[in-house]
Amino acid sequence: MLKKIALAAGLFSATALASNAAQADVKIGLLGGISGPIAAMAPPMLVSSKLAIQQVNEQGGILGGQKIVTVVGDSACNPQNGVDAATKLVNIEQVVGLIGPHCSGSVLAVANSVTVPAGIALITPSGTSPEITGLEDKGLVFRTVPSDDFQGRSLARTLLELGTKKVAVAYLNNDYGSGLANSFKAEFEANGGEIAGYSAHEDGKASYRSNLAELSRGGADTLVIFDYGDGTGLTILRQALENGFFTNYVGADGMKSDAIIRELGTENLTTFVTSSPVGEKSDSLAVFNKAYIAAGGNPDAIFVTSSYDAAFLMALALEKAGGDAAKVSESIVAVSNGQGEAILPGEWKKAVELIAAGKDIDYKGAAGDLNFDRAGDVPGSYGLFKVDGDTFALQQTLN
Amino acid sequence: MELIGLLNYAVFMAIFIGIYSLLALGLNIQWGFSGLFNAGIAGFFAVGAYSSAIVTAPESSVHLGGFQMPVVVGWIAAMIAAGLIAWPIGKVCLRFRSDYLAIATIGVAEIIRLIVKSEGWLTGGARGINKVPRPFGDLSYLYSQLAYLALVIAIVFAVYWAIERQISAPWGRMMRGIRDNEDAATAMGKDIKARRLEAFIFGAAIMGLGGALFAHFNRSITPEAIDPMIATFLIWIMLILGGSGNNRGALLGVAVVWIIWSASEFLTDQLPTEYAIQAKYMRVFVIGLLLQLVLRFRPEGILPEPQGVSSRTETKTFQKQESAAK
Repeated sequence: MLKKIALAAGLFSATALASNAAQADVKIGLLGGISGPIAAMAPPMLVSSKLAIQQVNEQGGILGGQKIVTVVGDSACNPQNGVDAATKLVNIEQVVGLIGPHCSGSVLAVANSVTVPAGIALITPSGTSPEITGLEDKGLVFRTVPSDDFQGRSLARTLLELGTKKVAVAYLNNDYGSGLANSFKAEFEANGGEIAGYSAHEDGKASYRSNLAELSRGGADTLVIFDYGDGTGLTILRQALENGFFTNYVGADGMKSDAIIRELGTENLTTFVTSSPVGEKSDSLAVFNKAYIAAGGNPDAIFVTSSYDAAFLMALALEKAGGDAAKVSESIVAVSNGQGEAILPGEWKKAVELIAAGKDIDYKGAAGDLNFDRAGDVPGSYGLFKVDGDTFALQQTLN
Repeated sequence: MELIGLLNYAVFMAIFIGIYSLLALGLNIQWGFSGLFNAGIAGFFAVGAYSSAIVTAPESSVHLGGFQMPVVVGWIAAMIAAGLIAWPIGKVCLRFRSDYLAIATIGVAEIIRLIVKSEGWLTGGARGINKVPRPFGDLSYLYSQLAYLALVIAIVFAVYWAIERQISAPWGRMMRGIRDNEDAATAMGKDIKARRLEAFIFGAAIMGLGGALFAHFNRSITPEAIDPMIATFLIWIMLILGGSGNNRGALLGVAVVWIIWSASEFLTDQLPTEYAIQAKYMRVFVIGLLLQLVLRFRPEGILPEPQGVSSRTETKTFQKQESAAK
C-alpha cells in the first residue's frame, strides 16, 4: 500500500513538473515504436521528425515566437502500450497534435480509443494498413505514407499499359507481401489482365524451386515478386534466373535493394524492374536529404521522409489553425491540397509569412506532394526502376 | 483542463487495470490454486478478443463477420470459445508437469498467433478486425471512458466473487490439495486429470473475457496485440508480485505493475531527451528486475496466499452447507 502511495506521489509531482515546464510552449506528441519489433527503425524516424521541429524553432518558432516542444511516447508497436502512451500524451502532456504511432495496429487502437474521442489530430508516418482508410475518425486521422493498397494497384495498371497481360505472382506471407499481392491481383484482373499463378511463400527457406516450377506452369513469362530484396526475395529471384523459369521479373519497393545487384550482377538483371515510391517532380527530396545528412542521419533509412513530412505538416497546420487544436485537422488539409504557393521542406519562415498574409500554401513533402484525400490518405507517387550500372535508375513514373 | 486530463488518464489506467485483472485472475485459478504453469495467456486472450470481435462486428469483405450480435453475446462467446480451445489443449498438455506444460502452452499460444495472422478469411490477417462496437462509445470522451470503467469494474467484481466462492468451496480445497500433493490426492480418490482440466478451462474462459473487453475498448483487434511480452509475461509478473494463490494479491499486483509500467514514463521523460528515449527501454528492464527482486526477497508476493485464516471461513461455509443439506 505504501508503495502505491509513494508511486502516486511520484506520479503527481512528475506531472506537476511537466506542466510547469510547458508554459507558453506548443506541445506535439511523437509516438513511436521505440521498444518492440521495430526498435531499429524507430530512432531515425524520431530524429527526422525532430529535425522538422528544430527547423521550425530555429526559424522563429510557431504562433508568433513560441517554441514547439516534442514529447516522445513509446508505443512499443502494440496497441496496449500505444493506447497507454497516447492517453498520457493527450491528457497529461496536453499535446495539440500527435505524430505517430508507427505501427498500424497501434494507430487503429489509439485513434479509436484516444485521439478521436479527444478530438486531437493524428498523422502517422508509417501505418500502411488499408484498414486506416476506413476508420470512423471525424477527419482526424492522416498519414504521410501511402496505403499498401496504392502501390499494388498502380503497379498493376502500369504493367498492363506496358503490354504485359499475363503474370505469375509470388509473395511473402506477411502483411507487406499479402497486402501488396491482394491489391495487385484485384486491379490486374479488373483491368483485363490474367494471373497465371499466385502463391504465398514462407520466409527463410533454402529452395523455392518447387514454388517457382508451380508458378511457371501457368504459362506466364513475367514473375511479380512481393518480397524483400535482402531476404527471401533475393533467393527467389536467383533461383528463377538460374533455372530460367520466367523471362521478365517485376518487384515492388521491398525488392529495390542494392543486395540484388551486388549478388546477382547487373548483366543478369536486364529484364528486372521494381516499383518504388518517389518524390514528385520537386526539389523537396533533395532539400530534405541535405538537411538530414547535415543532422547526421542516413536519408535512405525507411520512413524518414514521411516522418519529417508528418512533423512539418503538423507545425504548418498548427500555425494555420492559430494553435486551436480543434481546427488542426482542417488545416492539415488546407496546407497541402495542391493549391497555393509551394512550400518545400524547411521553408518555415516563408510559410509563416504567407499564412500571416492570408495566402494559401501547399506543402510539397519529401515523401511526395501529399495532397490528402477525404480519408486522410495520400495517393503516393511511384516510379518504375531498372538496374543501371551498380544502382537503380528511374525508368518511368507510374500513375 | 489539467484536472480533467488527469481524471481521463486515471480512468484509463483503471480500465486497463481491470482488463489485466481478469487475465491475472484467470491465471491465478490455473497457477495460484491449481499449480498449472500456463505460459500461453496471450493465446486465450487472442481467442477471446477475436471471438467477441467476429460475433459483434459489422460485415466486412476482409474477414468473417456481419453477425452484429449484442456486445454481451460477444463476451459470452469469448468465454465459451476460449474454454473450448482450452479443452483439447488441456487434454493433451496437462499430462505434462510444470515446466513441460509451460513450454507446451508457449507453443500453443504461438500457434494461435500464427493462425490469427495467416487465416485472413477468419481474422482479417494482419489487418485485424475493426469497427468492433464499444458499449457507451457514442458518449463524449470522459463519459464514455467512465461508463466503460463501470462496466469493467462490475465484471471484475463478478468474476472475483465467483472465483472466491469457487475457491472457498470444497472444489477449491481439493484443487489446492492436488497442487500441493498429487499423490495424496490420488490416494484420496480424486480424479486429478479431470479436475485440472476444469481449472484450466475455467481460467482460460476468464482470460478470454479479458481479451474481449480489450478488443471492445479499442474498437479493434490486430495481431500486434498478441505480443507475449505484454499479453503473457507481464501478467505473470503481476501475479507473482501480488501473490499467487490470493485473488486480492492478484488484483494488487496488476495495479502496482501497471502503474509502474505506465507512470514510470513520466519520470524518465524528465531526463534530457537523448537519455529519455534510451530510458524507455529501461522500463522493460525495470519490470524484469522487479520480478527478480520479488522472487529473491518475497517469493510469496505482496499479499501471500492465506493459510489457516481462510480454512476457518471455509469450515464455516462447509458447516453451513452441511446444515443446509440436512
